Amino acid sequence: MKKTNFLFILLILILNYYSCERDDLCPESTPTTPSLIIDAFDINNQDDSKNIFGLVVTDINKENVLLGYDLVTTANIVLPLKTTENTTQFVLINDASINDNGTPDDASDDFYDGNQDVITIAYTREEIYVSRACGYKTIFKDVSISIVDDGDNWIQLIQPINNPQSVEDETETHFNLFH
Amino acid sequence: MKQKHILTYFISSTFLLLFCVSVNAQNDSIASTKNDSIKIKQKYGLRIGGDIGKLIRTAIDDDYSGFEIIADYRLKKKLYIAGEIGIEEKSNVTDYLNTITKGSYLKGGIDYNLYQNWLDMDNMIFSGFRVGASSFSHTLNSFNVYHTNQCWGEQFASTTPQEFNGLTAIWVELILGLKAEILKEQTLDDNDEVLNGIAFDKKNNRIFVTGKHWSKLYEIELIKK
Repeated sequence: MKKTNFLFILLILILNYYSCERDDLCPESTPTTPSLIIDAFDINNQDDSKNIFGLVVTDINKENVLLGYDLVTTANIVLPLKTTENTTQFVLINDASINDNGTPDDASDDFYDGNQDVITIAYTREEIYVSRACGYKTIFKDVSISIVDDGDNWIQLIQPINNPQSVEDETETHFNLFH
Repeated sequence: MKQKHILTYFISSTFLLLFCVSVNAQNDSIASTKNDSIKIKQKYGLRIGGDIGKLIRTAIDDDYSGFEIIADYRLKKKLYIAGEIGIEEKSNVTDYLNTITKGSYLKGGIDYNLYQNWLDMDNMIFSGFRVGASSFSHTLNSFNVYHTNQCWGEQFASTTPQEFNGLTAIWVELILGLKAEILKEQTLDDNDEVLNGIAFDKKNNRIFVTGKHWSKLYEIELIKK
């Protein structure tokens, strides 16, 4: 009897310590590192939202297409910024189409036709504690976007909403793009 | 940074090994009236012990080390004033954080024994509360920035340790627990050479307590009933 009691108590004791651990999953609803949000407007009528047709967003080497931006029609672009560097570059291709390079069966040498504009996003970074499960997030301050002038830019103008512009959350647009 | 006050409810069970030292100062010369019925003498007084659970966890859990001294003082038949003092160190390693938290705490409160002991049993099924206060520090060894978009692969990682000192917390615990007497009695007579531990100096009516058997709990009678 005494021995069973002893084991029972020991069991409760051990269970207690291990059942009280908190869940270590970061909830999706928790705001973590924000992405940059750009809205597209008509350059001639700057209050009107204007869709970008056949949009492709890739990295600077055009090796990887940003997930969700492979030939889409949208007036809203969400760009993830690098948390390891103080600049992030993207290639935004307007009116894009896939050029199969004369080999319709071979997808490996395909490339995008269309007007390619390179944008450089520059910023300073700050790491902020979120929670035990989510760890840290990076917020971006003094964010500026410059367009590389290639003589044939489809992006006419990119303007920040505020000056200086920071990217601290994803609740509102950070930049307006006119085209 | 905002300070968060979290009210935490712990349901913890405490398990103690009980060794009792009966320190009798009864004067035998007073004639006692003998009755037919046997009266069970209840023990009142101060008990000091250690939390074996924390010692076991220290031994088996690489991420944890802790030590706690427990004391309670029997005030009424079912009522105890109880308190704990302890130190703990715990490291937390997740995909995004690597921290070590160190601190010491002091807890005080009341235990109420719900168990009706038979005869001379000295067990407890108790309910009670504690008010705790703690002073602690965090060491942030490293962290990775959390990003839901994996487009750029690796995120910023910091490996420069940072320290956050002088943190405090106050909380309330509600307790439901068991205390079982496992070994009945350990008597010390004059022949026992007690270099450290508990010693009673009969001449001067003094009690000495040192750290010989902290894993065991001693009961010293202070009040006679």
